[in-house]
Amino acid sequence: MVVRTAEAFRKKSGIDVRTGHRAESIDPGTATVSGRNEAGRPFTLPYDRLLIATGADPIMPRRPGFDLPGVAVVKTLDHARHIKTMLQERPIRKAVIMGMGYIAMEMAEALRMREVEVTMVKPRAQLLPWMAPELAETVGQELQAHQVQVRTGFDVARIEKSGQGLSVVAAGNETLAADLVIVAVGIQPNSQLAAAAGLELGPAKAIAVDRRLRTSNPAIYAAGDCADAYHVVTGQKVWIPLALRANRAGWAVADDLTGKPVSLQGVAGTAVFKVFDLQVARTGLSVAEAAQAGFQPATTVISASSRAHSHPGASPIQVQMVADKNSGRLLGAQMVGREGVAHRINAPAVALHAGLTVEQFSQTDLAYAPPFGPTWDPMLVAANQLLKLV
Amino acid sequence: MKFIVIGGDAAGMSAASRAKRQDASLEVIVLEQSQTVSYSA
Ligand SMILES: Cc1cc2nc3c(=O)[nH]c(=O)nc-3n(C[C@H](O)[C@H](O)[C@H](O)COP(=O)(O)OP(=O)(O)OC[C@H]3O[C@@H](n4cnc5c(N)ncnc54)[C@H](O)[C@@H]3O)c2cc1C
Repeated sequence: MVVRTAEAFRKKSGIDVRTGHRAESIDPGTATVSGRNEAGRPFTLPYDRLLIATGADPIMPRRPGFDLPGVAVVKTLDHARHIKTMLQERPIRKAVIMGMGYIAMEMAEALRMREVEVTMVKPRAQLLPWMAPELAETVGQELQAHQVQVRTGFDVARIEKSGQGLSVVAAGNETLAADLVIVAVGIQPNSQLAAAAGLELGPAKAIAVDRRLRTSNPAIYAAGDCADAYHVVTGQKVWIPLALRANRAGWAVADDLTGKPVSLQGVAGTAVFKVFDLQVARTGLSVAEAAQAGFQPATTVISASSRAHSHPGASPIQVQMVADKNSGRLLGAQMVGREGVAHRINAPAVALHAGLTVEQFSQTDLAYAPPFGPTWDPMLVAANQLLKLV
Repeated sequence: MKFIVIGGDAAGMSAASRAKRQDASLEVIVLEQSQTVSYSA
């Protein structure tokens, strides 16, 4: 990430960046946006076209004790600096991380690197419900191998002060001691401005936009984490907040604004993250999401090797693949392994954009050389297995 | 034409920069509540 000062940006790009300016309301009737600057001075600006790109913010549960010092969310650089300062200023021996998403996992790794004892808690029983139990098990083992305690079924009811530190109390009164609590239970779109201006909202209360990023008001666009998108597999609206699609949506707004034809295909939900030495990736639908979207999901789980048999240093790559029994269409893939996972997910991702069947995907010509995989790529091994079920 | 962007991160800065590049006559204002704008493209 490159952070530039507003002044440098203004000079170089000719864009009038006003930092410390918070928008507080939009009036579509007069086509104005109003707010306040950091000095508290109100402003009102007229627009011909407006883009709402307000992103998403971490969810802070409305339960007792979440406002105590030592309880933190992770979103901005300032949050990260705040946590770093806490780690430097007082002895932090124990941390509790609420949540099991990728940000929670990244925080677990960062804290373990500083030798902080880490316990991850989540209310539901399953570790990563969107992937096959075999794959989730591998992630669980990786956390355990790095001394991260995982407590599923731990629903935090409140946080209390306890001596110098904190007490994290579950619904059943079970308690975990902590010097630091990281809250990473999810994020929500910043769509309040849009809602107050009467704009339509979509899934998860993200701002509803069409394939040209227009909201229900033709002079107002929305893009990025605050807005929804079409899913390329289901054709339905979804809210999957990730960086590429935010950048792409921004470009599309610029194109539409300057008269270039725009129609975004949408998202496949392709994502990858690191859990210590593991790579975890997904694209498209999980089995549960496929069923919910009205498909008849067939699924297979395979384990293949990251390198050819004869090649030293190989490790397993586990793949779950999902297809529709009726149409034979590929619907999604999830993958876990120590190497060769992060970019391998891009092959099924492209297949989803192209609407390939498992049979068509199984015929694709994928790369092979011994240091990079077996002759039959793990993706093809999974597709060949899945082919028997559709 | 006056183009106002609320939010100066991935989506907002991508739009602002590309719009200005493609049409230098646009007046582009980005409102960002924090002290940093980031641009990663
Ligand atoms: C720790 C972390 C790690 C991540 N890692 C990945 C990753 O590996 N891969 C990936 O794809 N994605 C990742 N993401 C997600 C990615 O950062 C977001 O998808 C992306 O930043 C969305 O960009 P955006 O411009 O829509 O929103 P944001 O980045 O949230 O920016 C919104 C901006 O709007 C400003 N704003 C909000 N309201 C107002 C207002 N009323 N007035 C003025 N300004 C306002 C905010 O201050 C902010 O600067 C990560 C996120 C986090 C927090």
